Amino acid sequence: MFTINKNFLISISAAAALSLTLSACMENAAPSDTKVAKKAAIDGGVMYPVANGMSGPYHVNTDAHNKKIEYGRVPTAKEYEEWNTDIMANGEGLPEGEGSVEDGEEIYDSKCVMCHGDFGSGGGGYPSLSKGNAYELHDTLTNQRIKPDTDGPVRVFGTYWPQASTLWWYIKDAMPHPMTDSLTDDQVYSLVAYILNINEFEIDGEEVDDEYVLNREKFLKIKMPNANGFEPKIDGPHGPENVRKYFSNPHNFGAIKVKPADRCMTNCQEKTAKVVYIKGAGISDFHPPLSEVRDLPKEKATGFSAKKAYEANCAMCHSADGMGAPMIGDKAAWANYMTKGMEKVYSNGINGINGMPPKGGSSLSDTNFKSVVDYIVSKSK
Amino acid sequence: MDIKKSQQDLDSFDTKSSQVDRRDFFAKTAALGVTALAGTSLLAADEAGEAAILEPQPWGTKWGDPITKNLYGMPSKYEHNVTRRYTKLLASGNFRASIAVTPIQESSGIITPNGLFFSRSHGGVAHIDPNEHRLMITGLVEKPLVLTMKQLKRYPSVTRTHFIECPANGGQEWRGPQYNSLQFAKGFMSCAEWTGVYIKDILKDLGVKKEALWMLAEGGDSSKMGRTIPMEKVWDDAMIVWGQNGEALRPEQGYPIRLLVPGWEGNLCVKWLRRLDFASEPWYCKEETSKYSVLKPNGKAVQHFYANEVNSTVTSPSPEIDWSDLKDGDVVEIEGLAWSGMGTITKVDLSFDGGNNYVETSLKGLVLPKCWTRWSYMHTYREGEELLLTSRAMDDAGYIQPTVDQETLVVGVEAVYHRNAVETWKVEKDGKITHVEVRSQLGRKENGELFIEGKA
Repeated sequence: MFTINKNFLISISAAAALSLTLSACMENAAPSDTKVAKKAAIDGGVMYPVANGMSGPYHVNTDAHNKKIEYGRVPTAKEYEEWNTDIMANGEGLPEGEGSVEDGEEIYDSKCVMCHGDFGSGGGGYPSLSKGNAYELHDTLTNQRIKPDTDGPVRVFGTYWPQASTLWWYIKDAMPHPMTDSLTDDQVYSLVAYILNINEFEIDGEEVDDEYVLNREKFLKIKMPNANGFEPKIDGPHGPENVRKYFSNPHNFGAIKVKPADRCMTNCQEKTAKVVYIKGAGISDFHPPLSEVRDLPKEKATGFSAKKAYEANCAMCHSADGMGAPMIGDKAAWANYMTKGMEKVYSNGINGINGMPPKGGSSLSDTNFKSVVDYIVSKSK
Repeated sequence: MDIKKSQQDLDSFDTKSSQVDRRDFFAKTAALGVTALAGTSLLAADEAGEAAILEPQPWGTKWGDPITKNLYGMPSKYEHNVTRRYTKLLASGNFRASIAVTPIQESSGIITPNGLFFSRSHGGVAHIDPNEHRLMITGLVEKPLVLTMKQLKRYPSVTRTHFIECPANGGQEWRGPQYNSLQFAKGFMSCAEWTGVYIKDILKDLGVKKEALWMLAEGGDSSKMGRTIPMEKVWDDAMIVWGQNGEALRPEQGYPIRLLVPGWEGNLCVKWLRRLDFASEPWYCKEETSKYSVLKPNGKAVQHFYANEVNSTVTSPSPEIDWSDLKDGDVVEIEGLAWSGMGTITKVDLSFDGGNNYVETSLKGLVLPKCWTRWSYMHTYREGEELLLTSRAMDDAGYIQPTVDQETLVVGVEAVYHRNAVETWKVEKDGKITHVEVRSQLGRKENGELFIEGKA
């Protein structure tokens, strides 16, 4: 009985979908105005399929899109393996391996902390990785800063992301930011373990504490607190149709549909609506400063300033505590480096070391970079 | 100079062309008399006039550059203020995961020059050697494929004009206006004529399996940016493009190739594209989970929010180029842009009172699907007048821009992405322009729903 009902329902929706498609096709077949495109698309918009050699306002050589073309070659197994690094939500693509929270913290402190801050607190324009207990902070996702005294939602890995696979994949492929694709699988497991630890995760009822060792099997048991926090449902064979259905209802995403003749032309605002101004002096951190003047550009200063180059390229790490980089002015730290000789200090900087990218990510010439190093050393004696 | 000159003529060019025919010169001067003004009474006699006209200028009396200079042309050096701009507020510390935005206050027509096209990267701007770049197509296909750039460009090409917009365009202003600048308030977008190949034209010969529901597009830059695209878009109008406004893509736009999914989030148009993979389940890429998802007041986030919705803005006047030079009675064109990733612009209305009452404007120039569209309205300026200029667009999918209240009631103020409520410029008494929003104070019910405070 249940099965029959289910089939019955499916056949009804299939028929409905079919009739939609048919009516869409018939409209498309109408030759009178090829600019009128009417087919409900997956994004809630319209499509412009080719009709009478036109797609919307564009002419189309339909012959060009029907010929069999056989350029290129089949990739080798090795080539496929090298680029096929994605990790699916079900763990497809996730390699075997293991790593501990302890190792993860060590790697984090040498390669990640300069951007993501102590314990993943964030900073310098880079995202936070944790704000504390993910299960408790998950409740903040309903927060709305509609008034000055209300807190916003906490959107970090533990509280917000729907799948753990994203974290593993992203760290392996795209981190550390200045030197991507440089971590071993075990190092990635360690970093993931550390990030789970600072988000105060549990796996299969077990706390990811400082002694925890993560492996593939345990990773696949991770339950994300916000796994059900996203809509529409995209998994499974009906994923794309769920998306189409979702975007066919404007209310789901804050949109409004109206016939042109019925649109509001008078008294369209709420009586309560007021003019709201930019708070205080507003933002003016624009580079270069806004100007509509037509004049000759100012002569660029030709002299090289090690101090300015330091401020532009190095200060964000070497002047900030907790970023993992030796602080400018830290006499003991720099004296220690100097024992290996100035050439070693130069080459470490030029080639990059630990979390520091080559030349700190700057495009300075070797000569200019060395004078910046000299500047830092002179300020640290 | 006669372009049909032979090589011998060119060799003797220096001696011949420097001779000026004086008789010819006097004949032309004499002929001018016929077109001279009948009397001087029509002219202003009081003042001598402007140096711009009275004084000979160096560019009018001396040779310009030889044609051999600037073989790749650059804008006039006087245009140096027309440039992309950045702010530290929207950047990682070292400007590798950052954005530089387009000066749309200075844009004309519907095409953004390649050097001004807004630029967003997640791991810096990669400089790829096209000879060492490959496109790989794998997954649920009978015949996986590797193409060189030369082979890719052999496919029949398609040229389309589309905007690309970051869905965070205007996304800093959910809780109120932030930028007194059109460039920063709406410049996370640009529009260009793109040339490339339909992905469906490549796929049709690869035997895509019926289980394939999703495509992964992945970049070859250091960020390996990836996004999931549904097959319907792939079989519709998704392209791989190499051409932008008649030349190669700029490195900032993903040279040598990028994905173009017309009308959809700029982030989906993966730059430095190197891999397409097909699967029966979606990927969960970092930029479609942690970011580019729209968190609503009920705590649920909209994912796979593909299209940039119908939108518009007044571009003239703007906070940058205001009306402070206008005099009472001057007739001035109010101009703007409208765009929709869901279709074609059908109507744009303009309000002078912040979106309470509207008049319909004229669309101007080409009106193309998923493309910037110009609109225009003529206005007689009255000295000292205060106006609240608000534009509102509609598209052929039937969508109309919501008011700030209508949009925030449903999606709240924490959405970050896909804000398309109407935008308002206030014309101040002195002709200066201030960015404002017209909105009500929202409150929160016990059940979490938002409501308008004080609404009867």
